[in-house]
Amino acid sequence: MRPRTLVAIAVTVVVGYLALVPMGYLLWTTFTDAEGFSLGGFSRAYGSDRIGSLVGNSLWFAFGSALLSLAVGTALAYFNVRTDVPFKALFFAASIIPLIIPGILYTIAWIFLASPSIGLLNSLLEPIFGEGTINVFTIWGMIWVEGLHLSPIAFLFMVAAFRSTDPSLEESSLMSGATRVQTFRRVTLPLVRPALLSAALIMLVRSLESFEVPALLGLQNGIYVFTSRIYEVLRTFPTDFAAAGALAVGLLAIAALGIWLSNRFSRGHGGGTITGKGFRPRPIDLGRWKPVVGLGILLYFFVTVLAPLLVLLYTALLPYYRPPSIEAFQSMSFDNFVAVFNLPTVPTALRNSLLLGAGSATIVMALMAIAAWVVVRSGIPGRRVLDHIAFSPLVIPGLVLGVAIAFVYLRSPLPIYGTLFILLIAYCTRYLPYGMRYAVSGMQTIGAELEESALVSGAGWWATFRRVLLPLIAPALLAGWVYIFVVSFRELSSSILLYTPGNEVLSISIWELYANARFGELSALGVLMVLILAVLVGVAYKIGASVGLKSD
Amino acid sequence: MYAEIGELTGSERRDRLVELAAEEGNALSIYTSLNADIADIVVPEFEEEFGIDVDLYRADSETILQRILQESSAQFAGADVVETNATELAVIANEGLTGDYQGEQRDKVNEDFQYEGWTPTRFNIFAPAWNTNAVAGDLVPTTWEDLADPKYDGILSLEVGDYDWYMTLYGYFQDQGMSDADIDAMFAAMVDGAKIAKGHSGQVELLSAGEFGVVAASYTYLTEKARATGAPVDDQPFVEPVVARANGGGVMRASEHPATAMLFMDWYLEDGQQVLLDNGLTPSVMPDGSDPLAGLEVQPVDVQQLLDEGAEWSDRYAEVVRGGEQLPEN
Repeated sequence: MRPRTLVAIAVTVVVGYLALVPMGYLLWTTFTDAEGFSLGGFSRAYGSDRIGSLVGNSLWFAFGSALLSLAVGTALAYFNVRTDVPFKALFFAASIIPLIIPGILYTIAWIFLASPSIGLLNSLLEPIFGEGTINVFTIWGMIWVEGLHLSPIAFLFMVAAFRSTDPSLEESSLMSGATRVQTFRRVTLPLVRPALLSAALIMLVRSLESFEVPALLGLQNGIYVFTSRIYEVLRTFPTDFAAAGALAVGLLAIAALGIWLSNRFSRGHGGGTITGKGFRPRPIDLGRWKPVVGLGILLYFFVTVLAPLLVLLYTALLPYYRPPSIEAFQSMSFDNFVAVFNLPTVPTALRNSLLLGAGSATIVMALMAIAAWVVVRSGIPGRRVLDHIAFSPLVIPGLVLGVAIAFVYLRSPLPIYGTLFILLIAYCTRYLPYGMRYAVSGMQTIGAELEESALVSGAGWWATFRRVLLPLIAPALLAGWVYIFVVSFRELSSSILLYTPGNEVLSISIWELYANARFGELSALGVLMVLILAVLVGVAYKIGASVGLKSD
Repeated sequence: MYAEIGELTGSERRDRLVELAAEEGNALSIYTSLNADIADIVVPEFEEEFGIDVDLYRADSETILQRILQESSAQFAGADVVETNATELAVIANEGLTGDYQGEQRDKVNEDFQYEGWTPTRFNIFAPAWNTNAVAGDLVPTTWEDLADPKYDGILSLEVGDYDWYMTLYGYFQDQGMSDADIDAMFAAMVDGAKIAKGHSGQVELLSAGEFGVVAASYTYLTEKARATGAPVDDQPFVEPVVARANGGGVMRASEHPATAMLFMDWYLEDGQQVLLDNGLTPSVMPDGSDPLAGLEVQPVDVQQLLDEGAEWSDRYAEVVRGGEQLPEN
């Protein structure tokens, strides 16, 4: 057997093992009860006569959020990579900080900003527009908050995609008389279609599963979504895993359809824009639009990053939240920050989270670099199945994933249960889908001819992979790495089931503070996390820039 | 072991348990849903007093239940003591996973809260809480029925998962002779114009911030904690009957440290109760041995009913809170 086949098989086995363990458990609990095969879970899950309106609300919310984040993320990425827009340093913060702020804090910060009764923005607007101009407790408010919270995912995807497409095509289009808008629509967008579809798919599934935003914003005015149902189902006694599984299977079907469509539309379009011809991305001169776009960027930065972050900082300095007033400012202190540093588990938790974040991001992206090659390039029959398998953990509820992993390793002779390793396995499983989408979208932009010429010139498969493909997809791999590293800090539902004393992670400290209604300390911890992770991600980018494709 | 220790009382019992705990290696594993800030005070006090090393696993009650069920199905003895909510403990006890812990302190617990296989250690009490800036004078609720008054429209908040509170209050009004139709109408009027929230702690934060004026069923210890930071919230005098749900502890039958586990339960139900009291919780036995609920009209959450009919009440409550549904204001 050739080495490439061996590597492909090995990676497929590892990915298959990671993804199929929880999947198998999920399907087993979904389709069986005490008597054997059963579809009872489905009737309990979908039996509510409200399921129609739940799904309707969910789809509206999910499509809205995905569209908003896609539009915002793509526009930002385009301006950042392709134009001479000002304030480029802000992009970095804008692309990472909403990811770092835990969903619960981001949503609460928005309540403090845009609630009709206590929102700060509303009190600013009141003299002009009257009371309660903005209402965050509507489906539009939900789309706004979720869309902005997700936009960094789209941004990370699209930056990687724009970096690895050939701008000479756009230049030819402009030279042939097309306008900038025409060029963007007819040339640029089709070129990055694989990344666009990947990002859309992930964001769609993510918003269908989103919990914090619908729970905190939607419920208040009776807007119920799919996850409200999962929550209800998981809350019953004994926990109805069959019904929760049935809902997850529904999501899985949607996701599988999405992958199929995404692969179908990626083929023949956009694929292979990186060819043997050298290219050097050159920034487009925005001309007189420069100040307008610059202003837009500042506004975006203020709205998605600065305002929520300032609210967090403000909350962190107060003993309890109250709207700004002289008394509020007089009561400010650093007590909450001091309290966070004094929490006994925080130092251990921070260390463990860093280890797990870096470990799972590295393992997943290394595996996925090869898996993406198998799926996109190898020509091995049935290779697309790997794509679907790697995507499946995205739809498995975190608690079910945790239970499945516990089930296996409680019975395994390997001493993994009760160690940090079991969390590493859980994280690797949970973030496989993201890694796969990032790596596949990177791989799809690379023409087959580069690989062929390397092989023809006598390079072995491994040398070709390492010296040709890897550097070319490095921007996508780095984007995936950063994403996994950052969001792994927030993983709670399987961490909390699987951790053992001494192996705490930061998300558990966050949950402790939330459960305890200690919002001041929670905000303080949020602010500290933003600082720590922003620095670390900055370092990762610096290192990444020195090994990957040099674009500017 | 349970039989031998069950015979003993007082210092004789404690001395014997200390001796046995030493034989077991002075190590203990506790799974608890007690909040960290309190667990981090309770457990070190126990460790210090007896020189026992405690491994403390903290999670929400549902996760604890899942972990215990998974571990026991694989014959893995992870926990020696489990300390969590009534419903989860009842499931664990019904599975026969807890040992037969008996003792004098256990007998002092209010008789409405005596359960087989586990022992209440603290109470969660539901009572309305209000923002004192927004709600004063006539607006302060004095009965549960008050909350149905239209004057609370737009400022009252209900929690989406409080079906145990709903079930208990429903039973209380039935006992009062109210017809089901009247009770339904009362809850519908409460929900009408109410803001539905998820999570009691978030609810209290938003109450402090003035987003809500009244929270229908707040945990009294959360209200107390907010008030201690200076937030303008109050729940005194309690609206009665207060709805009380027990949290408790059980010693695991498969435990490799059964004596240490019993020692912990003995200590927790005696000296540990003072620590809970000092930290704003409601203990199950007052340090002087009296009943902490004495003097209050209490409606206990019926744990067995919750197990038998929980799914049904959860669905019913879900329907009730949806009554507050308004079309999104687009």
